[in-house]
Amino acid sequence: MSETKTYKLPIGPVHVGLKEPITAWLDIEGEHIKDAVIRPGAIHRGVEFMARERNPIQVIYLAERVCGICSFSHAIAFVKAVEDAAQIEVPIRAQYIRSMVLELERIHSHILWSGVACYTIGFDSAFHLGMMLREKVMDVLEALSGNRVNYAVTTVGGVRWDVTPAVERTVMDMIHYYRNEFASFYEAAINDPVVKARLRDVGVLTTEQAIKYCALGPTSRGSGVRADVRWSAPYDAYCDIHVEPVVPQDYTGEVHGDVYDRFLVRVYEVLQSLDILEKIMEGLPEGPITFEPKVNKLLTVLKKAEGVGYGCIEAPRGDDTHAVGLKAQQENVQWWKVRAPTYSNAVSWPLMFKDNELADAPLIINSIDPCISCMERMVLSDTSSGTKSVVTKADLLKLCREKTDKTRRLMGA
Amino acid sequence: MLDPMDCFIDREKVVKTPQELAEHLQGVFGDDLSYVDLRDFSEGSSGEVTSNHLWMTIGKTRLLDFVDELGKFDFPNFHVVSGDDDGDHISLYYHFDLYRAVERGVSLHVTVCVHVPKDDLTVDSLFSRIPGVEYSEREIQEMFGVDHIGLPNKALVFLPDDWNREVFPWRRDETAPGEGLVEDLS
Repeated sequence: MSETKTYKLPIGPVHVGLKEPITAWLDIEGEHIKDAVIRPGAIHRGVEFMARERNPIQVIYLAERVCGICSFSHAIAFVKAVEDAAQIEVPIRAQYIRSMVLELERIHSHILWSGVACYTIGFDSAFHLGMMLREKVMDVLEALSGNRVNYAVTTVGGVRWDVTPAVERTVMDMIHYYRNEFASFYEAAINDPVVKARLRDVGVLTTEQAIKYCALGPTSRGSGVRADVRWSAPYDAYCDIHVEPVVPQDYTGEVHGDVYDRFLVRVYEVLQSLDILEKIMEGLPEGPITFEPKVNKLLTVLKKAEGVGYGCIEAPRGDDTHAVGLKAQQENVQWWKVRAPTYSNAVSWPLMFKDNELADAPLIINSIDPCISCMERMVLSDTSSGTKSVVTKADLLKLCREKTDKTRRLMGA
Repeated sequence: MLDPMDCFIDREKVVKTPQELAEHLQGVFGDDLSYVDLRDFSEGSSGEVTSNHLWMTIGKTRLLDFVDELGKFDFPNFHVVSGDDDGDHISLYYHFDLYRAVERGVSLHVTVCVHVPKDDLTVDSLFSRIPGVEYSEREIQEMFGVDHIGLPNKALVFLPDDWNREVFPWRRDETAPGEGLVEDLS
């Protein structure tokens, strides 16, 4: 009988193709995760510090580059904070366009996540299907703004691009396309018995933990917390269009708070976003799209503003909070604070890791939809002998996939 | 003994209007509350008020009591701590919201500001009440040098391990990053 050893296993910090590198130090005994400590900050870029050298309009460009997927959410949360501090009213048409882009971004983000989750467990056909479906919404974003990632749609007091009849048609086409095609993806993914067996009861976060650790968005809703800023404190077009939080108990009658529930929430939110988009397009009011189209005039207004502003919106991963301090007679932003959803959700990671298997670690990391898409490499260190060996992303992925295969064989599927 | 902030899912939430809550808090904290502002927001075409934000400033020693008082109505969902170096003190803004899972349009954002004087850079940690504050308090500690009393893990969050711990990136005084640390910001 060999004695039990605890290994410290860092996952991260450097991963391929992501915006927010993070290290998870796992204490593992054999295949079981006993404890976890999270160490973010591998590439803290100090955007908040950089903002002090820029005026609010210039900071929009920084805000958009906080994240590559929910770039619009950050820009909107920032301009909302500035509008709050400077007491600027946004025309209703601009509010609708903002909500429209937010919903497009949610569809994009959720489909991307669902596809990657399928890839992680070795369900490659669903992954490719997901990636193919995602292209459609990217086309719509490109038709609207000319860009696929940083859309540069918003500005303080409104939006910069109007919805032309041609864009309107592309959006309606997209809604029609997803209503027909998305079903095949979610049928394949969430109704597959192997997927269900693989995701059920993995990385559990209870309802009470989700509240205490202030989890957000699909992570908290997956744990049964009925919370959604679009519902609890509606803004923009959501004041006219009612949105209900998507929680698993409404669909399956029970809450597990596991990866499967988080998956389910995101899938149903895509369908919900299609309904919201349809209502936005139907009710799109006429009128101006910005409070002040001339940037110089706008900057003069902002230069007079004094005070602290706050913006909080529901981004794809949870609520995105920005606070900004403006000082009168000063062109630049005095201070700015960005709180991305992962910042809050990562606090819950150690709870999700506890008592799971190492092969589930990639799945759990992915389940909060962090700004982490791939795991590059990690170092296995044996604390008793002091030796280190490198485990690559491919090895870890192999472990995760092998567990799926094993599940499949056991189920005879 | 029951944790004073224990959040039970089925616990009855005491829903108050923003005005009622502001008056209640003013009654409880009296002179310790120095600034009260209530902002309401109505967007969309309906014109109805769908979002409220209560801003307050509280004496440093009463921060924990303030959060406990909020906890009597609903578990305060913590967003983030933001702040600025205001010369002789650091202003910290704690952003919460109440009633985030009650019904449509009743959620109330609460921001409470605390002035931490530079000759005593300490403030009580909220970790014992809301464990979700951990990263934010650690960030404030490394960026401003404000010590949170009662926070179990005070390791760095965002700054690199070899960072000079006497330099605080968000300060504007002699402890701010000097010329040598700030390179090209464009």
